[in-house]
Amino acid sequence: MIYYTILFYVFAVLAVATAFYVVFAKNVIHSAFALFGTLFAVAGLFVLLNADFIAITQIMVYVGGILVLMIFGVMLTTKIADIDIHTKNLNRIPAILFSTGITVILIFILFTTKWNIKPQVQNQETVSQIGKLMLTTYLLPFEIASIVLLVALVGSAMYARKTK
Amino acid sequence: MEQTIISLKNFIPECVLIVTILVCLLADLIVRKKSAVVAVIGIAGLFVSGWFVIGQFGVKESVFFGMVVIDPYSVFFKLLFIVSTVFIILFSLASKEIKDSTHTNEHVYLMISLTLGANLMASSVNMLMMYLALETVSITSYVLAGYMKKSKRSSEAAMKYVIYGAASSGIMIYAMSLLYGYTGSMNIFEISSILSKMGGTNPMLVIVMVMILAGFGYKISSVPFHFWTPDVYEGAPIPVTGFLAVTSSAAGFAVLIRFFSVTFLKSTTMLNGSLQIIDGIRWTEIIIVLSVASMIIGNFVAVWQMSFKRLLAYSSIAQGGYIMLGLVVANQQGLTAIFVYLVAYMIMNLGAFYALIMISNKLNSDDINDMKGFAYRAPAVAVGMGIFMFALSGIPATVGFVGKFYLFSALIESNMIWLALVGMMNSVVSLFFYIKVLKYMFLSKPDEENSGKIYYGIAGYVLLFILVIPTLLLGIYFGPIVRFAEMSAVMFGLK
Repeated sequence: MIYYTILFYVFAVLAVATAFYVVFAKNVIHSAFALFGTLFAVAGLFVLLNADFIAITQIMVYVGGILVLMIFGVMLTTKIADIDIHTKNLNRIPAILFSTGITVILIFILFTTKWNIKPQVQNQETVSQIGKLMLTTYLLPFEIASIVLLVALVGSAMYARKTK
Repeated sequence: MEQTIISLKNFIPECVLIVTILVCLLADLIVRKKSAVVAVIGIAGLFVSGWFVIGQFGVKESVFFGMVVIDPYSVFFKLLFIVSTVFIILFSLASKEIKDSTHTNEHVYLMISLTLGANLMASSVNMLMMYLALETVSITSYVLAGYMKKSKRSSEAAMKYVIYGAASSGIMIYAMSLLYGYTGSMNIFEISSILSKMGGTNPMLVIVMVMILAGFGYKISSVPFHFWTPDVYEGAPIPVTGFLAVTSSAAGFAVLIRFFSVTFLKSTTMLNGSLQIIDGIRWTEIIIVLSVASMIIGNFVAVWQMSFKRLLAYSSIAQGGYIMLGLVVANQQGLTAIFVYLVAYMIMNLGAFYALIMISNKLNSDDINDMKGFAYRAPAVAVGMGIFMFALSGIPATVGFVGKFYLFSALIESNMIWLALVGMMNSVVSLFFYIKVLKYMFLSKPDEENSGKIYYGIAGYVLLFILVIPTLLLGIYFGPIVRFAEMSAVMFGLK
């Protein structure tokens, strides 16, 4: 169990630290590579939760697909690779106060609430269960998600298309 | 398997919409130029879907494993969305902005996808489905807001909308995850029964309510989640603005009202009709604050606006505040009042936006200064606009008065007289800026260089007339909409 805890903290620290770097890096490429660490660490957290399928999906889709696409996009548009991004904020002090307030409240909630914690179950095969659920209980969200994707596809094609 | 097939039978209207989207998409690919054919197909699909929705009246059923329900409440909203989409597609045929854009007919099936998302928002009882439906509506509206690719304002509108939207739905889904972590369920009826056992004194629930309101409140553009509204309304093409003001915000109300009235209801009182809120949960008080703030900020800021679209944006923020007053009452009567108000809201807003399309088609501007003496140039349109403006401010003998009358009387009957007073005071303020438009149109003389008469095609006048008639007729003969609202104010699982 101690290994489990150690691994959890390793992944958690990795995820948060790289996420900070994504936000604060001045170079887009650096941000994109740091995002790789974040997504990977989150996949590790999924493994610790016995959600092996989601972990693999996370790596395949986010790390393998979206992130690579993003880096390609950045590299192909050569101009933005060299530009320093302004990560400044206009209302720095109110923003700091506001976000610290929210963080304190959320941490307070985290420790005072009696969460509904399910007992740990034996590691089972998840793929077949996910498959069954997607065609029964979650059939409708699954189908509607495809409509959302269709709309997003039409929208992005609409914007990207060359105008006559 | 069997349940899926039974569910599909109750899901025909949405299936028809999906088929319509696909057929329109293919037709657009075949036609490859601007054409009314795609719009006609879209409207036909909406009519078929509407016909099936009417057939669902009186059904009370939970379908797709407790994801969505069919009940009079959702049927009412579906009809509202379908009717307004039909009008908006007609408007987009008339709009010069859409005609001049570089796209062909994408707006038709994007609008129908938005209607599909809105229908699901009105009927979902599962947080996952609510979020997904909300995202369908949001993503479609981002695309539509930036429809005029060559206009800087339109791109700015889309960009602002995306950023605000992403932030607020992120906050909302975080709150949903907290609620799931506390109760272990995503179905709002199950959450209600679990919360009824555990009691509602947990401070987490307050945070959850506020954060979920960030998501829903953004859709209904309630203060303090309203900052996107004026900019997006100003940048987007007018038919899209009208669509956002009517369908998208009504859908926000649909999901907001169902979520708050069911989730935080004592589950033991669901079937005996007394409908008490779980002890310790005080969502109505949060709604009161938002509602009063929306009314005051919406109405007072609208006074200074010289852009007609920004004026209508603040007006819709304020109207959202009035509708939330009905939610504060939190009983059958309040819901009926909301429904009456929503019908009125749809008719008068559609009318105002259509009149604005007619005006800005000819003037190429939505600045109120440019509308000086418009009544001398196109009297029929100016009179039409006048009627819609009076209706929006709630003058008697228009449909807007009926809506406000029912809202305020629901408030007074549940002893919230001071809220009714705040609402009435705000109506007086709103009268000022609605009339301001008319002052420019009727009392100022047009400038020398553009004082020529403006003519429209016969179809334009007919559509305007179709919208003026219910605005006036339902203001005097409002029995039918009240009866319809009373019949519809029934939610699944509640008596």
